[in-house]
Amino acid sequence: MANSILIHNPRAPFSQGSGLKASVLDHLAGKVVGFIDNTKPNFNHLMDDLAVTLLEDYQVRSVIKRGKRVQSIPAPSAVVDELVAECDLVITGSGD
Amino acid sequence: MIEVSTVLVPTAPKQIFVEKKQLTLESLRGRVIGFIDNAKPNFKDLVDDLEQILIAKYGARKVIKLRKRAASIPAPTAYIDQLAGACDLVITGSGD
Amino acid sequence: MVAVEICSSAFVNLGRSQARALGYENLPIAVVPHPFGTVDRQIVRQFAEKCACDIVALVCLPPVTETLEDYQPIIEDVQGAAELTIEHAPNLMIAFNRLCRDRFWSDGLPVMPTTREAVSAMLAQTKRPPQQVVARLAPGFGVATVECIAINAVLAGCDPEYMPILLAAVEAMATQRFNLQSIQSTTNPAAVWLIVNGPIVERLGINGKFNCLGEGVWANATLGRALRLILRNVSGALPGEMDRATQGQPAKYSFCCAENEGESPWEPLHVERGFSSEQSTVTVVGAEGTMNMCTLVKEADELIRVIGSTFRHPTSNEYVHGAEPWLVLCPEHADILHEAGYTKSEVKRRLWEASKMQASELSKEDMSRLQSSRTTELGVIGADTLLPISHHYEDISIIVAGGSGAHSVYVPCFGNTRSVTVAIASDEN
Repeated sequence: MANSILIHNPRAPFSQGSGLKASVLDHLAGKVVGFIDNTKPNFNHLMDDLAVTLLEDYQVRSVIKRGKRVQSIPAPSAVVDELVAECDLVITGSGD
Repeated sequence: MIEVSTVLVPTAPKQIFVEKKQLTLESLRGRVIGFIDNAKPNFKDLVDDLEQILIAKYGARKVIKLRKRAASIPAPTAYIDQLAGACDLVITGSGD
Repeated sequence: MVAVEICSSAFVNLGRSQARALGYENLPIAVVPHPFGTVDRQIVRQFAEKCACDIVALVCLPPVTETLEDYQPIIEDVQGAAELTIEHAPNLMIAFNRLCRDRFWSDGLPVMPTTREAVSAMLAQTKRPPQQVVARLAPGFGVATVECIAINAVLAGCDPEYMPILLAAVEAMATQRFNLQSIQSTTNPAAVWLIVNGPIVERLGINGKFNCLGEGVWANATLGRALRLILRNVSGALPGEMDRATQGQPAKYSFCCAENEGESPWEPLHVERGFSSEQSTVTVVGAEGTMNMCTLVKEADELIRVIGSTFRHPTSNEYVHGAEPWLVLCPEHADILHEAGYTKSEVKRRLWEASKMQASELSKEDMSRLQSSRTTELGVIGADTLLPISHHYEDISIIVAGGSGAHSVYVPCFGNTRSVTVAIASDEN
């Protein structure tokens, strides 16, 4: 009979998760949309173009654009707090 | 009963060498001494000083000084041939 | 003819070990205090007085009548690997690793037991006889037999299929132009970087994309590690003993990657060096570290300018000796250069010009080293001399590797070493 040994999995244990479902909006019309610009090249242009499209084609009420100083740090708490308070939808960016 | 295993040693296998005897000189008087300067800082000065001392104090006949281009390369074969052909004693350097 | 070596005190071990390795156990060694290179001139004179006495005392002994035989040690008999029996107390892995720690056979990390079964599986990947000598490896000039390489491959955790790569890599490291002697014993942080090209990359899953110079992929990690274990255990370069690296570097644990041939706009390294694209090869490089070059530049000449500027640093070993700098271009940067119409050779030529550094950037002491090393090549070197990083622009070496992201990597090399590319034998198994 082959010998066997018991080993422990070195990975971190799975978290159960919060159980929260993703929030959805039934439509964008009349909503306030926020952006956090991650300062990666071209994101500001993408953000500007998306803002125009959302306003013109999807009738969002207003767009709030905020940014970070550099991409490799978190957004300031004040920015996060403001957008949470003011916006129905917040859009962020990741990657190059 | 404790289980045992045989493992193989990872170091280089034993080699059998032809034994070398150390050569010596009775004295330095009348001898030709060669230096291979390893090009490290200060070695040239040490060689110059040793040249003076070995001639003045120990009666060496002549000193031949050859300097490598850089410390991290071998001495050219021509240097070794020249010194082996002409010298009774060759002195090299190692280290900083 | 009698020989004497003068060693600074910190290097006596290296001198003795190498003399022993070359079969000259009784080489006389005269010792001067370390550090020697930085003391004032009058101190050197004081050292010389004592050194002269020591030399005379070492060489002037009662005469011997035997003549000295050839200095080249004759390997009359290479023995098979020694065996040890160890108790599984409390188990084989712990007992084996305890043994390896005690005997300095490990790189500091746990290793795999070198059982006869595991080594045999490795040897089954080559037709070469186990006792065949592949190379003698400096600085200890230990004999790297096929079996010895296999044992260290097992130690490192290599899959048996990696064996042909290691055989080729050991051959490459032993070539004169690679200068393993200096790479192994220098105070510089020189590590051997292994680059793999050709079909074997995909077959064995060697990473040339995301994080290819980092951890995580078995082949990359264990191949580089096996090479380092061979350089410790077979060639004898142990830190603080024959390995005189002042700090060393993390790449001495493992430094292996593939070229990302699929995303390169040019011919890959091995084709550039005359091999067919279907031939798998290894390239060994005496590397001194890695420097990230993060730039969002989109214009080819500006990219070359900033890379060239990165090469320039006054403490560089490359400018002192005229070396072989390496550039790992990310696919995005490679595309920028290729789309500007530049061949790899044109990139090298422009980079060679863009990276020239004024000699006055060097310290006075390093200027002295520079003049000693490169006057024959460059003529009289003054403060205004513009120093090329290498003797010829073609000495700049380029591979394309990495994932997405605007990061390329400058890998400076040791200086007096040149990379070597060798074919991996395709009929090994």
